[in-house]
Amino acid sequence: MTESKTGTVIVWMKSAGGITVTLSILIAIIAGIDSGPYIIVNTIVTGGMLALVALGLALIFGVMNIPMFAHGEFFMIGSLTAYYIFTPLAEYLNTSPNSLLAATAPLIAILGAMIVGAVAGLLCELLIFSQLRKRSRENWVMNSFLLTVGLSVVLINAHQLLFGTEFKGIVRYWGGRPTEIMGAFVSRDRILVFVLAMVVVGVFWLFMKYTSTGRAIRAVSQDQTGALMVGININGILLLTMALGCALSAIAGAGLLFLYPSYPAVGLEPLYLAWFVVILVGLGNTAFALVGGFIVALIKALTVEYIGAGWDFVIPSLLITVVLVFKPSGLFGSEVRGVLDL
Amino acid sequence: MLLEVKNINAGYGFLQILRDVSFNIDQGEYACVIGPNGAGKSTTMKTIAGLLSPMSGEIIFNGKNIAGLPGNQVARLGIGYISEDMNLFTNMTVQENLYMGAYVIKEKALKNDRLDFVYNLFTRLKNRKDQLAGTMSGGERKMLAIGRGLMANPKLLLVDEPSFGLAPQLMENVFDNLDILKEAGVTILLVEQNVTKALQVTTRGYVMENGKIFMKGLSSDLADDPHVRKVFLGV
Amino acid sequence: MKTNDSNMESGLADRIMDRLCLTPAAVAGIILLFVIPFIPPFNQQYMIRWLVAAALIGANAIAFDFTIGFINIVNFGYYAFLGFGGYTSAILAVNLGLSPWIGMIIGALFSGVLGLLTGLLTLRLRGIFAACMTWFLGLAMMGLITKMVWLTRGPLGLRCPQLFETSSNLPYYYLILSLLIVIYISTKWVTRSNMGLAFKAIGQNMEAARTSGINPVFYRIVNFTLSCTIAGLLGGFYAHYYGVLTPELLHTTKTVEVLAVAYIGGRGSLWGGAFIAFPFIITMELIRSSLSELPGLNLIIYGLMLMLVMIYYPGGFAEFFNTYLAKPKNRFLRYFLSGIKDS
Repeated sequence: MTESKTGTVIVWMKSAGGITVTLSILIAIIAGIDSGPYIIVNTIVTGGMLALVALGLALIFGVMNIPMFAHGEFFMIGSLTAYYIFTPLAEYLNTSPNSLLAATAPLIAILGAMIVGAVAGLLCELLIFSQLRKRSRENWVMNSFLLTVGLSVVLINAHQLLFGTEFKGIVRYWGGRPTEIMGAFVSRDRILVFVLAMVVVGVFWLFMKYTSTGRAIRAVSQDQTGALMVGININGILLLTMALGCALSAIAGAGLLFLYPSYPAVGLEPLYLAWFVVILVGLGNTAFALVGGFIVALIKALTVEYIGAGWDFVIPSLLITVVLVFKPSGLFGSEVRGVLDL
Repeated sequence: MLLEVKNINAGYGFLQILRDVSFNIDQGEYACVIGPNGAGKSTTMKTIAGLLSPMSGEIIFNGKNIAGLPGNQVARLGIGYISEDMNLFTNMTVQENLYMGAYVIKEKALKNDRLDFVYNLFTRLKNRKDQLAGTMSGGERKMLAIGRGLMANPKLLLVDEPSFGLAPQLMENVFDNLDILKEAGVTILLVEQNVTKALQVTTRGYVMENGKIFMKGLSSDLADDPHVRKVFLGV
Repeated sequence: MKTNDSNMESGLADRIMDRLCLTPAAVAGIILLFVIPFIPPFNQQYMIRWLVAAALIGANAIAFDFTIGFINIVNFGYYAFLGFGGYTSAILAVNLGLSPWIGMIIGALFSGVLGLLTGLLTLRLRGIFAACMTWFLGLAMMGLITKMVWLTRGPLGLRCPQLFETSSNLPYYYLILSLLIVIYISTKWVTRSNMGLAFKAIGQNMEAARTSGINPVFYRIVNFTLSCTIAGLLGGFYAHYYGVLTPELLHTTKTVEVLAVAYIGGRGSLWGGAFIAFPFIITMELIRSSLSELPGLNLIIYGLMLMLVMIYYPGGFAEFFNTYLAKPKNRFLRYFLSGIKDS
């Protein structure tokens, strides 16, 4: 039994996905030795949050068949909500210190962002996507994509109109002295945010694997007719999926508020990067979004380190274009059929 | 009467396929609908299962009109539908597929009872419970589809073309299983291209042609009918 | 094709209009557009500037609709091709002292070649992947132009010479209007030909098109290359009209603007976007200049319009026109609006 398991691992290592992962780990180690372990730390922290955004994106595409262009705007909604919840709490704490609240205030902000993100997702599904679904299913992927483009424009400018263009950020969540890991000083916020991301990914995975509702979501993504036949309320599942996907993105936005202050177009970068991730691992492939998140974060960190800031759009987009040309179904194989038209 | 279909008209978009289709099935009966390709057999099944909304007509199931209800609510009322292309969840394991079949059952104990029942019926599925549905052979998939349809303990089982694409040996196997179900008291409506076989196993039959019910009668009578023999059996 | 027997005896004017794919109403509209800079309040310079912007967006909408409305591919990096043409032309003018007129042509050719190469890579992919790839390519190009400061001056902006030695906007307006008309007529010609039929077939049903012997990749690439060439030409105009280029020009939000106009105008109609651009852009500019304390409002309207049209009226203005306006009872009006003379 163990022998066959090692055998499977070796076979997987020889596949495109295995090669990529092994190579990435090697490169990360070399880069870590060459220019300091902070590269690895940076990669892991941003990779974890990026994975959340990408997970939501992959979920929405896999279940609802919507290539979400407005996903970054839910990141923005998350960071905005967290800002407006956390700032008053922090001010209150300045005047009357309370150790319990000090520890939980960031969690309250992130939880609030999650709820607002989920509600925003629900509204979008109810007001926009279900309306289109009722009217026409023809050319659905493209039409829903263009709808999300419109949604993105509206949300970005609504932020500008209602909250202005200035940066709305915070300096720290928990604060405290940075911890030393492998010779690099890492702030406590980064560590806790990374832990948070991993907890969310873990809970999400358990939910999808072991609960009846989670299984129903997977069932809808694999065969809608089959799901209908066994008695699943498809519209309910679609609503839930949208809420879940948007909530994941909002959590990421809230979690990274101390690094990325909120402003109208803050969602663009996470959006691009999350798209890189889902193309890299294969559209709709939720299983490997986590791995992809780390890989893309590594590419970005390496580009900034060795080529220079500002190139971090050019190099990843070129790499992803190459992946699209040679392996359009993604490095880890995809559950979505028919990438090629021919 | 368990199911009564009254003057159903149905189709896709502007294309009408079923015209004034009426038939009925009693509790515990094993009936079949036979007919040539494109006669509307599968469309009839889809309409009953709620995957297709009829343009007019009534479908009375257990005294309630279910015409136009969405598929998930029809499934909750106790109609199991096993489609021609099975609609399995290919990236889930056999056991997960079966659990999905019991989605409408909330009690865990009841779910496990049903699982035992299905595993008893198809021991092969039990041996493969951790295999992904998409990696199984055609016959096993058919078994899984039937097993999934049984998980919710349906009062009425609609089976669409169970022999389609199966080797003769496997086909016999599937029909044996349906016989067992019939003995266990499940009402079955079968749609089948293999007319000889269908008329052998069922008690009553309907013949569909061009979207209409063309003949009806006991299966044994239909098997002897000159028209049926000429059109379907080539005798 | 409208040329049938009943049109045999119709006059020379009708035949010319039919050749040019215009209806009497379209001719009247063009004449109106030619004289509008002399009619108050449109005769002020800022108004003419808006008209130029509208005509530019309209021309872009035609080229954009040429791909999305026919082969069903969203060129999400449209403005990257436009910007590439513009930068090519501007760099030639600045560094080599080439005339902007020649630069525009060369820019168009460069964009066309880039479109051809992109097409070779992307257009065997399914629609959404092709859209993603053009999008990423656009991003990469924007990043490159930002970083190649020695050539493009990056975010500082590249100053480039203007086409006309005048401060008036009028000659530019007539130039872009003529370009708009030429682009419309030439794309319309292509879509009327057998090639256009092939485009439509690919856009509507890939399988059917392939089984009837059409090579989808070939036709997609031809279509895409043509559209990119037009984008490059208009990029040259942009550069030498506004006189300054920044990498922001290549950004996706610009493409979204054209996309919205093309969809609101009516996907697959070509003329819809060109027509709707004028009232639409001018209204947007009015909103932006009069409600400057509410920034972003015009873009919210943009996005909402795009979504509303997509959900509730996917045919856009062109479909509305064809169903409700084009065939009134009055014979003369009907001839005027639809160009069809019948008994």
